Amino acid sequence: MRGKTFIAHDELPEVLERLSKTMDVWIPTAINDEKCVIQFLPYQPDRLPVLDRQSTMPPKKVIFPQVETLLHFSRKKDENDPFKSHIELEDEEEVSPVLVFGARPCDVRGFLVFDEVYLNGPYKDPYYAKRREKTLFATLVCETSDNACFCSAVGSGPADQTGSDLWIIPVDSGYVIEALTKRAENLMPEMGKDATEAQIAEAQNVQKKVAALHIGEGDLTQSSDDFEDRFSDNEFWRDMAFKCISCGICTYVCPTCYCFNITDEAKDLDGERIRSWDSCMFNHYTREASGHNPRPSKLERYRNRIGHKFSYFPKKYKGMIACCGCGRCIRRCPVALDIRNVVLSLKKNKENVDV
Amino acid sequence: MPMDEKTKTLQEDFEKNFADLELVIGWETGFDRLHATPVFIRQPSELGKLVWNPLCSQNLSGYLAKNLDASIQEDGKKIGICVKGCDSRSLVALIQENFIDRDRLYIVGIPCEGTVDLRRLMHLKPSLENVRKVDIEGDEAVVETDQETLRFPIENVLARKCLRCLYPNPVIYDTMIGTPLKPRISEDKLYSAVEKFDTSDRKQRLAFWKTEFNRCIRCYACRNACPLCVCQDNCIAESRKPKWLTQRDGIREKFLFHMIHGLHLAGRCTECGE
Repeated sequence: MRGKTFIAHDELPEVLERLSKTMDVWIPTAINDEKCVIQFLPYQPDRLPVLDRQSTMPPKKVIFPQVETLLHFSRKKDENDPFKSHIELEDEEEVSPVLVFGARPCDVRGFLVFDEVYLNGPYKDPYYAKRREKTLFATLVCETSDNACFCSAVGSGPADQTGSDLWIIPVDSGYVIEALTKRAENLMPEMGKDATEAQIAEAQNVQKKVAALHIGEGDLTQSSDDFEDRFSDNEFWRDMAFKCISCGICTYVCPTCYCFNITDEAKDLDGERIRSWDSCMFNHYTREASGHNPRPSKLERYRNRIGHKFSYFPKKYKGMIACCGCGRCIRRCPVALDIRNVVLSLKKNKENVDV
Repeated sequence: MPMDEKTKTLQEDFEKNFADLELVIGWETGFDRLHATPVFIRQPSELGKLVWNPLCSQNLSGYLAKNLDASIQEDGKKIGICVKGCDSRSLVALIQENFIDRDRLYIVGIPCEGTVDLRRLMHLKPSLENVRKVDIEGDEAVVETDQETLRFPIENVLARKCLRCLYPNPVIYDTMIGTPLKPRISEDKLYSAVEKFDTSDRKQRLAFWKTEFNRCIRCYACRNACPLCVCQDNCIAESRKPKWLTQRDGIREKFLFHMIHGLHLAGRCTECGE
């Protein structure tokens, strides 16, 4: 295996430029240099990566776009009988190889949750699978946390390399890069020049320092039973969900939320079947064709969000919880609703609960 | 009146009047001291949670129409609610539209020097740790952390709507905490930014709106936080019958959604900025 490489700060655009000749390189970037909103976009010479803070939106859309076309359809009328028509379908879409440069460990962990559902279950999602297979992650060891971060409380951490293909360690004058998987090795010749002993030693220190950090309090991974005990405690859920305004931002900024909707968007004889992000916080998410809605209020919907992430999911998928601790749902919530507080509260004052 | 004193006066006022109240809606400190979050208090012992500071940005009046049935009075008990100037204007609109019965409310109005836009603050200072207090002193926002005291010109960190706010004082209230403030802007300058924007040509204006709306992720937080977006689960942006918008995430759909939002609020919007 080739050793570690080094990219100086001013060489980074050059490296990204070179890489983007053979693949789509997605970087966290700010539009108009307004660092208020940072999102992952394909690299272009006028787009610089913003690596000094977590992105507003995770790189979820790189593999799971907010909207993707599953197929095109067109109705062709029968020339001899105008009352007859047949449908023509077209569903092939080429996917290019992708490098996500500058994601954080929590962002990448989100895809491990996706993998369980879309790749490892009884049904394999072909749309997700073809993108996932061609996507590599160059992940930045995470030195910048804030009070909404809690990756260590969900069994990960700011130096967690799980799911990453390349590892980026910021040092004083640039970045030290290391290949973690076999498929990433081919990219190493493009990743700057060989790192010096001193740079490698500096990088090891950073890695060691960050690995020792514990981000977030408590352990949220063992909450399944507490959730079940709490399930029918309506007063608890009313209090927890009261401030929620039922928007979908927590699910849209979440690296692990994978629910989607499928709709046919047609005009005249042609149209597309598209798949788009859905949100369990919306009323119509569970509205049935009859008009009945099993989750009619935000109490049921919020309870489901907690249950799905911290109870149903780990029960089904070998104990893995569907939360990566990135804190975006807390940080971006218009009313600062704190999911950690809700999960930790499951355990509190249990004497009132009918078990 | 200093901020801490206002918080104290606020708590004391509700303590005094709690016998007539079934619920108090206010703000408390959120997951850290840089975030405020709505709080719903049903026990007088919890009144100590209430805070008032420039982070109390959420307009709480929406909860009255959407979460609680504040349009009818049954047991004689009232709902206590804290409002800034802009929030109080939303209350007036909701009362006018018969969503809320004025007699059902005990309104505590707080003159407001403006709220801090955290995105603007974090843009300038991405890692703000161990924040103790955020306050406004004259033309500066003061952020006290365990280590240092930082001062920012308000132009750079206040929510933009607060910089051009004509109503810092509540227009409807039962009790006012503190003394009324003078608006930062005179009425004739209120729309100067809009007037300037209006002088740019159509192409430039369209380019501006496209850039702005392109950021939209259609999470509907703006709609749901809006106290006057009262259609709730029946918004035509999401209905399939009639179908105005597709599920696509292109600029056309985002533009149309915001046009719908804008037009439905025309003449009703109180510029609370939610």
